[in-house]
Amino acid sequence: MRGESTDLHSAIAGPDPVLALPVHPGLGAGAPEASHGQVAHGTTVIAVKCVDGVINVGDRRATASYSVMYDQAEKVLALDDFTLLAISGSYARSIEVVRYLRHAFRYFERSQLQPMSLDGKLSEVARAVAAGLPMAMQGLGGFIPILSTWDPSAGEPRIFFYDAMGARFESAEYGAAGSGSVQIRGAFEYVVRTKSPFRQMPRADALREALRLLDIAADLDAATGGWAKVLPLARVITAEGIQDVGEAELRAAVAGLAQGEATFVADRG
Amino acid sequence: MMLSPYDFNEAFNQRRDHAEEGLRQGSPVAGLSLDLGVLLITVRRTQRKVYEVYDRMMLSAVGNQSDIEAVRIGAVDVAHREGYQRSPDDVTAQRLVGFSLSPVLKELFRDQWRSPAVVRALFAEMGKLPADDAFFALNYDGEFVRSSRCAAVAGTPQAEARMVEELATVSTDASLGDAVRAGLLAWAGAWRAVTADPGGRGQASEAPAGPDAALGTLAEQLKDGRVEVGLLDRASRRESRFRRLGEDDLAEVVAPLRRGSGE
Repeated sequence: MRGESTDLHSAIAGPDPVLALPVHPGLGAGAPEASHGQVAHGTTVIAVKCVDGVINVGDRRATASYSVMYDQAEKVLALDDFTLLAISGSYARSIEVVRYLRHAFRYFERSQLQPMSLDGKLSEVARAVAAGLPMAMQGLGGFIPILSTWDPSAGEPRIFFYDAMGARFESAEYGAAGSGSVQIRGAFEYVVRTKSPFRQMPRADALREALRLLDIAADLDAATGGWAKVLPLARVITAEGIQDVGEAELRAAVAGLAQGEATFVADRG
Repeated sequence: MMLSPYDFNEAFNQRRDHAEEGLRQGSPVAGLSLDLGVLLITVRRTQRKVYEVYDRMMLSAVGNQSDIEAVRIGAVDVAHREGYQRSPDDVTAQRLVGFSLSPVLKELFRDQWRSPAVVRALFAEMGKLPADDAFFALNYDGEFVRSSRCAAVAGTPQAEARMVEELATVSTDASLGDAVRAGLLAWAGAWRAVTADPGGRGQASEAPAGPDAALGTLAEQLKDGRVEVGLLDRASRRESRFRRLGEDDLAEVVAPLRRGSGE
């Protein structure tokens, strides 16, 4: 990726590409199985819309095989002022891809003097997912993200999820990725059909539902962390940009769930 | 063909004259390092003039647009390659100007078979602390000068010196409005110095100095010029600290100046 080329420009910038995401070829056949146990994985991340925008929550556990490697992992990461990437799968690959995307988006804006379009950003993410496929096939380096963003031209939040080969899908309501997401897939539908579409929920309600879904994932999936010791991570995107859900708000929501005090009124709105 | 030492010297002088001639009509740029952040203040005509280079670095310049663009994109490329391969902390104006830009411009200036770049660029960098803010003025021949509190690039060295003298009086706790106003008056002073000295030989006819003369020049030049300000915001919590301010953002400061009023 690089801008226009002139004599003077190429003399300054040199022949190497400015940004190139490393593609690991994988270890090849006969790679020792034991190495899989050393690789950290992130697990359940959830994105749901609400009236104000879109909420992302993620557990804090990073696992390596049957070990818990880290209990403070951040899996909801900002790509720019209005875009969050919630990551699952290989932690190393995810972090590298996020670093790459942050630079790629800014590099585009600074060199081209206009921001990269949403479609352009989604394609960059798709390429990064697909480039990890050889390693994903060996159970090593795959990662699957959910991209949440505020779309200023539509004036509404958008959620996109991907498959392992980089196919992109848009979701009207919610997205989830990681090993725990499989178990809770039906629960999202249940919430939407019996309570209310997420996009019509007030922020507090949508946050509580997302945290409850994360709690169910932690109960049903060994690799997803609960919040007995460390609070989950929650971030919101609105028309004003990205905000962290503060510790007080998060603690209150979690405490409400734990004590069974969540009183969601089914006929709200 | 044999080149004598005299020819060698003469060739340099001709190239220098060619570059200086191209720079003379450029709209000056004022740089200020303040408590609120770092500012580059200028008046543009048609082309945009202040650019973001990296998270805490920006650039403005006088010269040929194509040469400015080559330096700008080159700087953006080098900064992003380094920031991605190592860390944003390793991207500094000192390294960028000293190791990536200056040697290339110097070589280009010495190469008799290529025309020299007509550019004088001002890089502004916001440090972790206000004391670490830095300006680098980079010349077409590869020479560069580092300064800290304030800096300027303009069409002639005399105009630059005059600007820096004025900018040095701005207090570090100045508000954005006061700083932009002071920057624009310094700009007008420099513009007067350049236009009063059309040959660029430092033989300025005695142009009346002082705030009134500067206000008049500024009002005159703002008839078909627009104020453009780049801000590296110290208070921002974004990684990317750059904001570009236009006349809509600065209406309270610019509107009186357009009327030629000091208030």
